[in-house]
Parts: sequence; C-alpha cells; structure tokens
Amino acid sequence: MSDFTDKLRPSQPDGPSTLAQEREQSNIPTEELGKHLLSSDGFLERQARILSILQQEPILSKSKQQNLSRPERFKLGLARAKLLRRLSDKHKWSHDDYKMAEYLVDDVSPYFLHMEMFITTIREQASEEQRAYWLPLIESWKIIGAYAQTELGHGSNVRGLELEARWDSHTKEFVLHSPTLTASKWWNGSLGRVANHAIVVAQLLLPEPGSDRFVSHGPHPFIVQVRDMKTHQPLEGIVVGDIGPKYGYITMDNAYMLFDHFRIPHSALLSRYSSVNPKTGVYTKPDRPALVYGSLTYVRANIVHHARLVLARAVTIAIRYTTVRRQFQDRDGDKRGPEVSVLDYPTVQIRILPLLATTFALHYTGLAMRTVYQNARDDIEKGDFNSLAYMHSMSSGLKSLCTMLAADGIETCRRAMGGHGYGGGSGLIQLNNDYLSKPTVEGDNWMITQQVAGYLIKKMSAAVEDRGKGGDEMDVRFRAFIREKRAGGLLRRYDVLNSDRDVVKSFELRATALAYDAYEQRVIKKKNWNSLLIQLHKLSRAQSQSIMVTTFFEALSTNKTLSAPTRTILWDLYRLFALNTMESEGYEFFRCNAVAQSDLDALPARIQDLMSRIRPHAVKLVDSWMIPDYLLDSALGRYDGRVYEDLFNRAHRLNPLNRITFNPNYWEDEIVKGSGVNGSDILSKL
Amino acid sequence: MPSTPEWVKALKPSGPQGSELLQQERAQSNVNVEKLSELLHTKESLQRQESLLALLQPEKVFDKSQNHTLGRVERLQRSLAKAKRLQQLSEQHKWSMEELHAANELIGEPTPYGLHASMFLVTLREQGTPEQHKLFLERAQKYEIIGCYAQTELGHGSNVRGLETTATWNSSDKTFTINSPTLTASKWWIGSLGRTANHAVVMAQLFIDGKNYGPHPFVVQVRDLETHQPLENVYVGDIGPKFGYNTMDNGFLLFNNVKVPHVNMLARFSSIDKDTNSYSRPALPSLVFGTLTWVRSNIVLQAGGVLARGVTIATRYCAVRRQFQDRDADAHAGENQVLNYKMVQVRLLPLLASMYALHFTGRGMMRLYEENQSRMKAANSPGQDSRGAGPEELRAGANLLADLHATSCGLKALASTTAGEGLEVCRRACGGHGYSSYSGIGPWYSDYLPTLTWEGDNYMLTQQVARYLLKSARAVLAGKPAGNDTSQILQTYLDRRDKGASFDVLGEDKDIVAAFAWRTAHLTFEALKHRDAEQRSWNSLLVDFWRLSTAHSQYLVVKNFYDAVSSPELSTALDPETKALMHQLFRLYALHTLEREAAEFFSSGAVTVRQITLTRTTAVMNLLDEIRPHAVRLVDSWAIPDWQLDSSLGRYDGKVYEDLFRRASQENPVNDLTFDPYPWNSALLKNEPKSKL
Repeated sequence: MSDFTDKLRPSQPDGPSTLAQEREQSNIPTEELGKHLLSSDGFLERQARILSILQQEPILSKSKQQNLSRPERFKLGLARAKLLRRLSDKHKWSHDDYKMAEYLVDDVSPYFLHMEMFITTIREQASEEQRAYWLPLIESWKIIGAYAQTELGHGSNVRGLELEARWDSHTKEFVLHSPTLTASKWWNGSLGRVANHAIVVAQLLLPEPGSDRFVSHGPHPFIVQVRDMKTHQPLEGIVVGDIGPKYGYITMDNAYMLFDHFRIPHSALLSRYSSVNPKTGVYTKPDRPALVYGSLTYVRANIVHHARLVLARAVTIAIRYTTVRRQFQDRDGDKRGPEVSVLDYPTVQIRILPLLATTFALHYTGLAMRTVYQNARDDIEKGDFNSLAYMHSMSSGLKSLCTMLAADGIETCRRAMGGHGYGGGSGLIQLNNDYLSKPTVEGDNWMITQQVAGYLIKKMSAAVEDRGKGGDEMDVRFRAFIREKRAGGLLRRYDVLNSDRDVVKSFELRATALAYDAYEQRVIKKKNWNSLLIQLHKLSRAQSQSIMVTTFFEALSTNKTLSAPTRTILWDLYRLFALNTMESEGYEFFRCNAVAQSDLDALPARIQDLMSRIRPHAVKLVDSWMIPDYLLDSALGRYDGRVYEDLFNRAHRLNPLNRITFNPNYWEDEIVKGSGVNGSDILSKL
Repeated sequence: MPSTPEWVKALKPSGPQGSELLQQERAQSNVNVEKLSELLHTKESLQRQESLLALLQPEKVFDKSQNHTLGRVERLQRSLAKAKRLQQLSEQHKWSMEELHAANELIGEPTPYGLHASMFLVTLREQGTPEQHKLFLERAQKYEIIGCYAQTELGHGSNVRGLETTATWNSSDKTFTINSPTLTASKWWIGSLGRTANHAVVMAQLFIDGKNYGPHPFVVQVRDLETHQPLENVYVGDIGPKFGYNTMDNGFLLFNNVKVPHVNMLARFSSIDKDTNSYSRPALPSLVFGTLTWVRSNIVLQAGGVLARGVTIATRYCAVRRQFQDRDADAHAGENQVLNYKMVQVRLLPLLASMYALHFTGRGMMRLYEENQSRMKAANSPGQDSRGAGPEELRAGANLLADLHATSCGLKALASTTAGEGLEVCRRACGGHGYSSYSGIGPWYSDYLPTLTWEGDNYMLTQQVARYLLKSARAVLAGKPAGNDTSQILQTYLDRRDKGASFDVLGEDKDIVAAFAWRTAHLTFEALKHRDAEQRSWNSLLVDFWRLSTAHSQYLVVKNFYDAVSSPELSTALDPETKALMHQLFRLYALHTLEREAAEFFSSGAVTVRQITLTRTTAVMNLLDEIRPHAVRLVDSWAIPDWQLDSSLGRYDGKVYEDLFRRASQENPVNDLTFDPYPWNSALLKNEPKSKL
C-alpha cells in the first residue's frame, strides 16, 4: 500500500525530538529508580526475559483485537491462555514467570479462577484427605475449576446466599438446589464456558435433631463437577452458561449456574474447619470463622499491591503524550516559537502530576500491605490471631481507596489527553474497561469501608475506657488524643508547609479526630448505624490516606541507598501527594485543627510550585516504571514518541473497516457496495 | 442456544418481587408523574415519543439485543442499515427535524448519517451564499450528496488557528489547491467521513499571494458518486475502534494538491473576488459564533436527559436490590433495599437533583439565546464590529452575546462533566451488576464521553469564562454601569464587601443563590488581583481560572434552578406538594454543592464554618430523608421508555433478575459455543456452530 501518505511527516518539533529533549533536561537516573521500585523480587529481569518470548508469538500481537466481536474475542482469549500454559511447560516457568506473562499479554485469563481461587480454596479449606485427592488433579490440569459464590440476588452479603445444600441422611449425600431465580450463581469467572469443576458456596442445611425440620448453618464450600469430562456439556440437573457482554473483562466467561436437586457426595463438603458427621448428620463448627475469609484478604492485599502498576501505565501514557502534544502559543510569550507542550499548562499538570506522585505512594503502600499480610499469616500459622483484625481492616480500607485512586486516575489521564484519549490508540480503553470492575469486586468500595470504621470505633472505645495496656501504635495515638482532649483541647499547630513529619502528624490527627467523632455518634449518642454510613466512609478514607502518607514518609526517611537527585525528587513527590490530598479534603483538616487556615489558603500556590519543580523530570520519572511498549499498546504513550505516525498506521493500515466500501444512499438497502447484502441479511447472520 | 429446561422456566426471584417493590415505591409518593412529565417535556413531545416508539420498536433492523456482542465491522454495517431505514421512514412519514431527532434518540446510538444531518447541512445553510445553497445545500437535503464537517486534525484540536491544511488561491485558473503538507495536517475524528460521506466541508488555512488569511470552509468532494471510491489524491478512511461511538465512522482525510473551483469556498461571510483576487472580510462574525453558543446551550439542556438515563436505572435498581439487614433492625426483618442506605442516597439523590437542575438551566439558556438572536437580527447592521475577532475578544459590558457566550462555555463544561461523571457514579452505585452491559449504563457512558472534549474541551473552555469575568470586573471597577447579571453580582459584592455577607443559607433559598454569587465575585476579584496587580502570567493562573469558571457556572445553575422552581409557570403546572419537592431538590443540589466546595465558600466569607458543619451533618441528611420516598416517581417523571433505556436493571416494571437471566441465557452468542478447555488441545471448540460466526 504505497501512496503519497508514505512521504508525509508530522510537523516539527516531532515526538522523538521532544522526548529526547525531555530526557536530556532531567538528571534522574531512571535505571537506579527503576531498580529501587521493581528489582527486589527480580521483576525487571523477569519482565525482559518473558517479553522476548511473548513477542515471537503471532497470536499474542495486540494490533487488531479491538475490532473483534465478543465470541471471537473470547476465543482469542482462550487460545492465548492455552498458549501461555504450554509456553510455561516449554520454558519451565515458575508461578511468578507465568503471572508476568499474563500481566504483559494483559488479557484477563479464562483460567484465572482455576489458578487462583479454585486451588487456593482447596489448599486452605479442604481436609488433608481432600487435599491429597484433589490437588494432584488440579495441579496436573486434569480438571479445570472455578469458584462460585456470588449469586444473581446476593453479593456482598454472603450470609444471604440462597443456594441450598441439604443433607440427605438416607443416601449420605448433599442435595444442591436453587429454590429461586435469584439463587442462580452469577459473575463466577472461568465457569461460563471453560471449567468442568467448581467450588460452590451454598447454605448448609442439616436436620434439627429430633425433628423433620432443617436448620441452616450458613454458607459452606463444596467441590462439584459441573460438566462432562468428555463432551464438556453440563451435567443433568445443572444449567450453566456465560452471562453476556460486560463493560470490560471481555475474555472472561463469567457465569450463571442453577441446580435442580443435584446430588453430591458427603466428601464434597470442604471440611478442614467445619464438617458434618456422615453417620449422625451432626455439625462441627470452625474455631475461628474469620479464617474462612482469609483468602479474600489475600486477594485484597494483592489488588492493593497491583494498583501502582496499573496507575503507572496510565500516567506513563499521559505524560509522554502531553509532552509531545502541542496546543496554542503562550499568551504571554512572543508567539513565534512552536506551540506549547500541553503538559506545560497547569490545568493539565494539576490532573496528571498528582497522579504521578500517587503511583509512588501506591508503591510504598503496596509493599507495606504485603509485609503486614505476611506477618499476619505467619502469626496465624503459629496460632496467634491478634493481628487478623488489623490486617482485615487495613486491607479493606486500602482496597477501597487504592482501587478508587487507580480507576479514577486512569480515566483522568484518558480525559487529560483530549480527543485522542478516546481513540483506540490511547492504550487506556481496555485498561479502563477491565480495571473499572475493581471498585465493586472483592467487596464494594463503599460497603467495605464499614469494616474499617467498625474496627476504629472499637479501638477508640478501648482508648476512652482505658481498657487493656499500651497496645499498638494506634492505641498509643488514640490514648494521647483522649488525654489531650480531656486536658482542654489541642493547642499544638502542625507546620505542614515546612515539615514533612508534621504532614504525617496532621493526617494522623485528622483520622483520629474523625474516629473520635464516629465513636461519639455511635457509642455515646447511640446514633443509628445507617445514618452514619457517609461519615464512616469518610473516616475509612481518612485512615487509609493517613496510612499512605505515613508509609511514603517512612520509606523515604529510612532510605540510605538512593542518590541525591532521586531522593530530592521523591520528597517532592511525597509532598505533592500529601498536600494535594490535604487540599482536596481541606475542610476536614481545618475543622479538627490539623491545619491552620492560613496554611490551607497557601496550599494551592505550594502545590503549583511543587508541580513546576517536578515537571522537568516527568518523562524520566515515568520511564523509571519501565513499562514496555508491548504492554502499553499505545500510540500515544510509545517510548520513542512517534505518536502521530503510529496513530496513522493503526487507522490506515491496521483497520479492517477500511477494506469495505459502503453504499451510502439511503434509498438503497444494500450496505456493502456491490454485495447486495442488506440490513436484514446482516441480522439473519446473528 | 439450548432450550431452557422447564424447571428453570418455573423459577422466580426470591420475594419480595421487584415489581412489588416498585409498586410500593410508587404508592408511597404523591408526585403527579404525568403533570411533572409535561412540565419537563411538554405534552406534545411526549405524544411524539409514544407514536415514534410504536413505529420503531417492531422493526427488526432496530433490534438492540446484539449491540454489545458484535465486532466493529458488523456494528458499523448495522448502524448504516439503521440510518438508512430511519431516513426512509422520515421520508415516508414526512418527519420534521424534531421528529427525526426524537427517533434517533430512541434508537440510542449515533449513526453514520449523523454529521451529514447536523453539521454539514447547518454549515452549508449558514455559511453558503444563495448560489451555493442551490449547488450544494439542495442536493444535500435530498441526500444526493452526503457530507461531513472536517475541522479537527491529527495534531490540532481546540486551537483552530493552528490547523495545517492549506487552501491556496490560484489566480491563473480561479481555483483553490487543497493540500496536507504534513502528517499532522490529516483531518481526524471527522464523523460520517470514514466510510460514508462523499463530500466534506474542509476547514483550511486560506493563502492568497503567499499571505495567510486564517481558517476558512471549503466544500470538497472526496469520493466518487458512482463507485464510492476516494477520488485521486484524496486519502480517506475510518480511524479505527474507540472507547465508544463505534457505530460512527470517524474518519481521517489527506489531500495531495487537490483543486476545487472558486465557488467551493463558502462565501457568505468572507470571499475572494474572482477578478481582483482581493479578499473581503466576514461581515457578521457574531452570527457564526452564535451557532456555537446554540450548540453548547443544547449540550447543557441534553446533559440533564443524559444523566436522567443513568439515574433512572440506578434508582429503580437500588429500590429492587436488597442487601443486608439493617444493623439496628430486628433480626427477622428481610434484607434492606439498597436505596435505603445513606451512602447510596448521598451518591444518587444529589444526581437526581442535578438532572433537574441541568434541565432547567438548559431551558433558561435556550430562552436567553432565542431572545438575544431575535434582538440581534433586528439591531445588527453590516459594518459593526468588523474586526473578524473571535467571541473572546468582543467587548464585555452591555453586550448580551458576550455574556451568553461566556455563560455557555462555562455551563457546557460543568454540565457535560456532571453528566459524564454522574453516569459512572450511577454505574458503580449499581454494584456488580452495573458492570454488565445489560445495565445499560456502561455503553451509554462510553458513547457520551466525547461530549466532554468536543465543542470545546471542558478545561480549555474555562479560560474563556475567566477572560470574560476579568473584563467585566475591570469594567465594574472603572465605574461602568452594570448592564447584565454578571456585572450586577460583581457590583453587589463590591458594595457589600465591607459589611460582610451574612447569608442565611439554611433558612432562605434566595440567600443560597446570593452566597453562590458572592463566592464567584470574590474569586473573580482575587483572580483580577493576581493578573493585574501582581502581573502574574496567564499560564500560571490557569488552575485559578478553572476554579473560577466552575464556581461561576455552579452559580448559574443554582440561579436558573431557583428561578425555575419559583416561576409562576411551575406553580400553575404542579400541585403544591410536588412544587415543594422541587424546592427540596433545589436545596439538595445547592447545599450538596456548597458542602463539597466548602473551603471556597468559607474563605470567601460567603458562609461560616458553623453553617457548613450544619449543612453537612443536618441539612443535607434531612433533605435525603425527605426526597427518598419520592425517588422512583421523580425518575418516572422523566418518562424514558424501557426501549430507550435498554437496561435490565432500570426496567419500569422492576423485573430486573428475570431480564438479566433471559438476556444471558437467550441473547448471548457465547453460549452457542462448546469449548475444549484443556491447554494442550489446541482445538478451541468441541462444536463449530453452523453459521453464527
């Protein structure tokens, strides 16, 4: 396809020269910063190694996938998932290698639930005997599984699930039955078309001793075969299928599933923690019900840790593109030079640069979350359950805040790029579509903040009543707050404009004061829980923001290895993140005396000043996240800045629509010129 | 699709049923839905909607069930089929523009005729001479030629003066040469151009004798009328898949020195004399910018309806969806309707208020626009203000158009942002099911989003508002008489500044309006101080300007909403109870906004910290309680037909779960495929269904 457009070049200065100049003007050592962020667990080495393998596989090319129909796109997704699994055998990949490959290919894998929730649930909740039977089958992929908990009518409230598992004492079987339509399993990944087994969560119904009534013992997990191993058709008494198109997750077969008096053996109940005596039908309770939700905490901790990479992708694209994109001459300039890079406009900076700072805040928070999770797991294995409540609360609050920051951040970046952000070449469309599930999955972001607030109110009650001894950091902080309050109020003033440590304290004070307010409303004034939900949500956000600011501060304070330019810029990013957050929640800080009004009034100017200090390093800072072009899949965010060439190539050469000539006359029903095919022919193909 | 077993067909959702819950909702409120609908839309347009619906819904070509499963190529083919059928119906039933527009709204997707029917025809009509009307417009109206409007380029959007496409006048043969000197000069995003149009109005830099006269419109044929192939030296195609709007063929377009005759430059406002080669300037530039103002006012008016779709769906669904027992209720109570949770209310009900606010504001602007147009047509004589300037350079003060123009810029930005972001809030408020395409919100949101950047990027536009407010402030300081509302609020602020505001925002509705005006005026004079006294650079003040524009636009919405709910028109149309509810919606919109922007309100002295605390803890909470029982009827009043909503969650009858299940199990082609799930079998399918793929 040679034509006059081959000779056309973008107007000057073009993308490559602009980015070269951006990289020239900053002294940030990207390699050092990249290693600091990503090399502790071999991430960067792994990324390079896996990438070179993936790029040799034609079906892993992303160039045309956006044009496909849902069935075709799903088929491609499954074909890729199969290939990755085979590559994993061929190259003897570790689990981390495999996860890296999935991350780079960037399709939600239809095997995801098999490899995560299915196997994890067996590991954590099956008895030793059950594990010995099932784990080899799963690990050798002889069976493929999914995890079915959520129902059409029931999500966050697990206790409200309707699917029944009724004990039949004659046959020693459980009978799975969906009494209503809302009892249908719904949203369960990997189950719609792919899995042949599933963990099914159902209400355990056992006969009440000495009567013919059944009593529910709450939701329990069962392992169930759902499809024939040969024909892959659903077994008799089961209706299962894919729930249809979604905002994103196009390559995932989220499922519906209904049971009609479907019998499963006694051994199907996963019985590490609770069990039913097959002879008597008597139930044995778990010692610790909270443990059952341990894997949910794990999933949330992972979501928190992953958020940094998601947001870093969006910010990488936005920063590179807004430096290459030029628009208008400077009003106060001489109007002779080239148009101004869009990133030089403060209205663009205020949207993107705080998000750049947020990627780093998310990074340190993610690390801290992982450490807390690891320690808590270790404690639990040793039989110590004290850290469980804290970990649960922290993971809930951070999951809510971090996924909101990342999801909204992607969209903010996309819009900051103007028209081209809307195009398929932005690289943010599938990311946006897929990631927008995160604020509502694994605990709705608004619902789970109640768990944080509930925990903080309990802690505050203990502090007020002076129960227990010293306790953890939070107890100490709460007690100090109460003491000062009783001594007649807080007179100290934090110098948030000049002291990085005072910023931390200011965030802590605001979270503590909000915790006290919530305690007062709920415990003293006995206010109705529902009437407090908005306030409780704000409390959770304040607490989680405080954790983010604190971990960011501590990570920088304790670092001794980074070079001076890197540390300087990281401190500026810390300040931008913290002060920008403070500014947007200004009223809450002001009301509890965590910041003076004069300081609050000075924040916008300080933020703008920080942005102008960070601006020259913006491109190098995103380069440090080392996100490969293959993953970005973005004309706008390419490392080399050849934005317009790539956009044109995608439109002109890679776009299948341009191979069809239409008949535009409305009085002729023909759609494709010369084909005679009309609207009803197109419909009949469906 | 496998047939549904009998035992599945027999299943019902667990009780209480969605239909019962919505009945309860409707029973507990006295809002007169019919009267309120008529006030919002007029009886005439409601009837029109009904008869169009009856006509369109049975036509198979307009079936919506596969909209979200098709590939891009098939979608566009179907979209063109829909557009053709609509045009045929339009001809058959002799539809007016309003009727065609209403039919398009019901279809709910952009079609490839979209830009022909709007911008192409409008531009030919408004910028063409009578001779050009005969040559182009008449044929275009009959669809003998199909066109589009090609302004934006690959490298240039908001800055129209930066366009790179050139049109060079050749005095020797009296033609123009249209050329694309660079790749970034490629036209881009041009709706209806990618595969459909055979003509385009092309905006190009006019060069005469080496001198640049700025961007001008040219009619250029781009495809052969017979073969529909691009003409020689024209490069044109579709730009590829997008976030939304995938039923539209947005196009690119490059020219390799293509010649067009003299008559192809649209010459009502500027022209070249064929004989002398001399250029004559636009006579009435303000009329051209009037069109843009009209377009933006329309966006404001539509924003209310756009948001109403999301709010209707989310409100009905949250009344049907139940989750958890109330923590403080007795243990035997059923699960609580999600809409009873305060944190759902605080997200949805202010949006419910916003959709009314935007609707009334759009109405108010349209009225102002029409009054102003007729006044201008009467008063304008050629020669006046003939500098050829853009509207931002027009003199402020008594000029109503300048006020209207600035107003429309700021409100367009605020209204489309409110609607766009509001839709995403609605989607998330629907929890997990909001993520399904069957929610009807996601696809609608994706199609709406470009409105935030087109017809002036929302952030860029705010500069024009700020520029206008600064000029007005300078005029007021110079003692010029206050000729319009903007000058008046600035003057009031100056007069009262030393006395202090002391507005009773919790007691008096009109004091709320005054507090919003005060904050705008305060921010205006602050910005003026930075720019004039401190001589700060324009660029460094952009964030301040953006805040200022937002504040000013919020004031305008609050004011328009207040005017509407206090109008005699509303009092006659509604019973006292519904009218009182309208006042509560006004207060909720205003106080919720005030609370969110608390810092600006107290630092400007418009309200006290105590007032903000009371707003937050008491006033807004009480309003949520008061409005909650009427929520379903308030969305019913918007009268959006189920077919238009295309949502399982937002159905009028509340049969949410039945419909989700029906669509998943019966309208979902993925379920026709039986896969081989094992990684080491490279075959994907166990069965290859006959035709479907």
